[in-house]
Amino acid sequence: MKRSKNLIAQHMSAQRKYLVLLGIISFALGTAIVGQAALLAEAIQRIFVEKASFSSVAMILGMLLAIMALRTLLSFVNGRIGLHMAATAKTNMRESVLHNLTRVSMGLSLQGQTGERVSVALDAVDEADSYFSQYIPKMVEAMIIPILVLIVTFTQHANSGWIMIFTAPFIPIFMILVGLKTKNKSEEKYAQLAHFSGTFLDSLQGLVTLKIFGRTQRQQQEIERSSLNYRDTTMDILKIAFMNTFMLESIVMLSIGVVALELAIQLVVYKSMAFHTALLVLLLVPEFYNLLKNTGTAFHSGRTSMGAIRKVESMLEKNRVEAHVRDGNDQMPNVQISHAIPLPVPPSIELKNVRFQYAPDSFEFHSGSVFLKPGDNIAIVGKSGAGKTTLLHLIAGLLKPDSGIILVNGNPLSQDNEEVWFKHVSYITQHPHIFAGTFAENIAIGAGRDVSRAEIEKAAEEAGLTAVAAQLDKGFDTFVGEGGRGLSGGEKQRLALARAFLKRPAIILFDEPTVGLDLHTESILQRSISTLSKTSTMITVAHRLYTIQHATNILFVDHGSIVDSGCHEELLKRLPQYAEMVAVQQKGGLA
Amino acid sequence: MSELAMLSKAMFQERKDIIFSILGGFIAGIAGVALFSASGYLIAQTVFAPPLYTLIILTSLVKFLGFLRSSSRYGERLYTHRATFSILSRLRTSFFSKLIPLTPGILNKNRSGDLLARIVGDVESLQNYFLRVAYPPLVVIMVFLATVLFTASYSFWIAGLLVLGMLMTSLVVPGIVLLGQRKIHERVREQRSKLSTEITETLYGFRDLKIYGQLAQREEQLQHYSASLAAEQQRAAKQLLLGQSMHVFVTFFMAWGVLTLSAYLIMDGRLAGVFLAMLVMATQTVFEESAALAVLPAYKQDSEHAAHRLTETIPSQATTLRLSKSESLPTDLPVSIEISNATYQYEGEWRPALMNFSLHLAAGSKTAIVGPSGSGKSTLIELLLKLRTTTSGNIRINKVLINELEEANIWELTNVVLQQSHFFKGTLRENLLEDADEHFDEELMEVLAKAQLPNVSLNQEVYEKGENLSDGEKQRLALARAMLRKGLLWLLDEPTSSLDYVTEQRVLKQLYEQASGDTLLLICHRLTGLERMDQIVVMEQGEIVEIGSFTELMEQKGYFYKLKQIELQMIGESGV
Repeated sequence: MKRSKNLIAQHMSAQRKYLVLLGIISFALGTAIVGQAALLAEAIQRIFVEKASFSSVAMILGMLLAIMALRTLLSFVNGRIGLHMAATAKTNMRESVLHNLTRVSMGLSLQGQTGERVSVALDAVDEADSYFSQYIPKMVEAMIIPILVLIVTFTQHANSGWIMIFTAPFIPIFMILVGLKTKNKSEEKYAQLAHFSGTFLDSLQGLVTLKIFGRTQRQQQEIERSSLNYRDTTMDILKIAFMNTFMLESIVMLSIGVVALELAIQLVVYKSMAFHTALLVLLLVPEFYNLLKNTGTAFHSGRTSMGAIRKVESMLEKNRVEAHVRDGNDQMPNVQISHAIPLPVPPSIELKNVRFQYAPDSFEFHSGSVFLKPGDNIAIVGKSGAGKTTLLHLIAGLLKPDSGIILVNGNPLSQDNEEVWFKHVSYITQHPHIFAGTFAENIAIGAGRDVSRAEIEKAAEEAGLTAVAAQLDKGFDTFVGEGGRGLSGGEKQRLALARAFLKRPAIILFDEPTVGLDLHTESILQRSISTLSKTSTMITVAHRLYTIQHATNILFVDHGSIVDSGCHEELLKRLPQYAEMVAVQQKGGLA
Repeated sequence: MSELAMLSKAMFQERKDIIFSILGGFIAGIAGVALFSASGYLIAQTVFAPPLYTLIILTSLVKFLGFLRSSSRYGERLYTHRATFSILSRLRTSFFSKLIPLTPGILNKNRSGDLLARIVGDVESLQNYFLRVAYPPLVVIMVFLATVLFTASYSFWIAGLLVLGMLMTSLVVPGIVLLGQRKIHERVREQRSKLSTEITETLYGFRDLKIYGQLAQREEQLQHYSASLAAEQQRAAKQLLLGQSMHVFVTFFMAWGVLTLSAYLIMDGRLAGVFLAMLVMATQTVFEESAALAVLPAYKQDSEHAAHRLTETIPSQATTLRLSKSESLPTDLPVSIEISNATYQYEGEWRPALMNFSLHLAAGSKTAIVGPSGSGKSTLIELLLKLRTTTSGNIRINKVLINELEEANIWELTNVVLQQSHFFKGTLRENLLEDADEHFDEELMEVLAKAQLPNVSLNQEVYEKGENLSDGEKQRLALARAMLRKGLLWLLDEPTSSLDYVTEQRVLKQLYEQASGDTLLLICHRLTGLERMDQIVVMEQGEIVEIGSFTELMEQKGYFYKLKQIELQMIGESGV
């Protein structure tokens, strides 16, 4: 609760001058409202009671029209200010969300929930709109104008003023009471509602399964049933809300009625009041109650908005904690590393007691002390789920250790020098991401610099992609990725290789494919990896015996820690788990 | 615009609620006008110092009208919303029935998974059509006509002025709003989807972007999109605000016009002064009641856009070709399949998923298909199930062309496990997708045990998309689902890819026992246990590379042999 106030407060204080402006305009608007009522009453008084000539009221009529135009204009300007505030707040809020998304560490980005984050960046921020565009201007108006109206009423006829003062509090009290009731009721039914509305999407997604199993007819009935249940449940909640409006309107009506009755008695029975005054008061009273009533609607949309803002904030907060922990780590003694780190020559890498956890109480990885010589060919081996990929990501600097340190050429790897570091790293994953763009652009992204077309084509040739490019309708300029031409798994893998050929990195991280590649890609992959590894440190998450046998150093990972390291023969001799794993797999494969 | 036709149909079916809504809206509107007119008249009467009882009668009338207004407004709200939700329900069911013949064909045009979510959203915005577009003008016009008739009995001129004002609020103001809106809304939608796509892409490609040092540049681009989205949204909202403000001014202007005109008429002696306040109040109220018209264009556009998009995704001429003659297959004979020169190309793809593919599956034979991912294996199964239709070439089941067979007939005949099996929110029993009365619980439990899920409860809850099940559990459940069926053709698409070696062998053993006399087609990712297959088909890029029995292929030392060699190198994946 407090935090959301912080974010709102932060955005409000940035826009304080607009708040002042809103106040000034609301005051002018209030004056216009009172003026309009006064002029209208005056005009009717003259025309009807005094039976004045047309020319004598022409002036008043002219002023009335002018003040009506002014009133419209003022409330339009208030609306505009609200919109402006909303646009600024949304842009700023989204700016921090986007900043956050692109700065967040791999650990969080691996946790997935992409859809949820996109929804925060888009929907939640958009929902925040009405807090600034509706709630704030309406609240400012509601704080200033009714008081103005009340003061004027008091100067004209104190009794009406007292009636208004006594009846007005019933409106907010009533609204809060009923609001609480609807809230409880809707929270109670929320799960039910979510279930009903989900059925349609669930059915659409499972339509193929439903078809094959001959269940479409039944599912259609199910959709109808759940939609109707949804209707009935929602109506239950809405009935309360509508009843609330009904009661509210009744209160307003009753209050106006009381004012009117009192006026009538003054006019007819006591004859103590001018018609003009009575009419003025009677015109002002509905304005007064309407403003209060509108606050209710604004309040409702404001609350929905605040919920959305809270969502944005909790995301920012969650990631800020992450950043904070990282900052703590960055306070390493050695500072001028940024230029000291890697050279085009393969560096040495050293892990010192690196610990990492994706979330509290989850799987923990612990590295112990490991030293990787420059130009080594390292294989990370272990069962699935043992922590191989986590180790690879830690070495890559994609995950920040919770404690411990990674030294590159003796200098700690940190946030400050990661840009330099990544300039010399290539990561060939099993599922490389193909960006929406041309085939050539997708290769060039690997270079991190401007590259000539010839260089791209050469890299593509080395990765065996020339034939693929020739098949594409626009060659290297064909759009691939989302919305473009689809590439097969093998072609994507080769594209990742082409990126690496273009980059010529000092460190290559390689997630060795398991199954599902074509033989052509397999042979290119083997050839390319051996070419690339000649000039770099190669760190492979290995799945194949061949790779392991040829590694200069094997890191055997089990249950989140590096159990032992050494070459194949050494480990076979001294590590029974390792020997067993190799043996079991070979037996399984031959069975 | 068949969707709007569908909408009209749904609305017609809810006519009872709609009539009540209109009635409620009309009474509320009229009572409102009468309420304020009576108040105006009441205050004017006080000038003549009338007897108290006149005042009491008038005040009671005002109270009564007020009550009438609030309560009929309550009724109106109740019925409009009821009608809206009922319409939604009808729309959903009719769209669902429309989508049935189009799946999965509809999904290959637009592969991004949010297509279905979009359909759900579009259908939902169509429901607003009644509440915000179709119904308000109807009520406004009725109330307005009644008010015009009422004022006409006092002055023809004033009534004429009201008609003029009404034309302004119902045509000119919405027209101006609409003028700017169409383009702006188009741009807002464009910007929004662009930003959404870019953010999603950034998150998916995060690792690669980070390594290639592209994140800063990406962020800058995203910020740029975000700022222009906010600017467009502001412009759209401004247009709407302008419409609302213009409506308010027209309301004021009309009240002023009636005041001025009445003043003239009163001085001319053609109108009694006592009606002045009444007429001004009536005018102001009737125009305030029509405020919904100013924002109507925005909703109208949204609904139309949604309808348009739905028509685009769901072609109205339901593309199911009615069968000229339909043959039906016997359900007690093993099935033979003959595929000759089948080619299939996904819409918008640049190369066929399956090319000149010919294969014979003899009745009762067992066939395995292997090959790299994306070689067209799953497409083949979808073609056999008539979920897709070959671009060229043909498929015969028991010598009958597949085009001449009813889909339901084929499905009844087959036991299928798709690569991605869908599970629904509900119990485990419901997710076995068999009619509960057909099977005893013991029978279901027995099959679950065969599928290596011995200790589960049939009443166990399954979440949406089976989110609370592991991949292995889902696969075993899908296998149980297939084993409960009585078909004679088994089509299995990587049914055991998430199971460990031991469990896999156990499940497959049970499965082969049950399928001993049946025709079986198995797509597999691992090359183990293929010795018992009659034939192994090796595919790459939609074509057959090799075909033969296990021993034949191993002796050939060709593609299959090399794949097998690679697999033998695999280590550490026995896993679970």
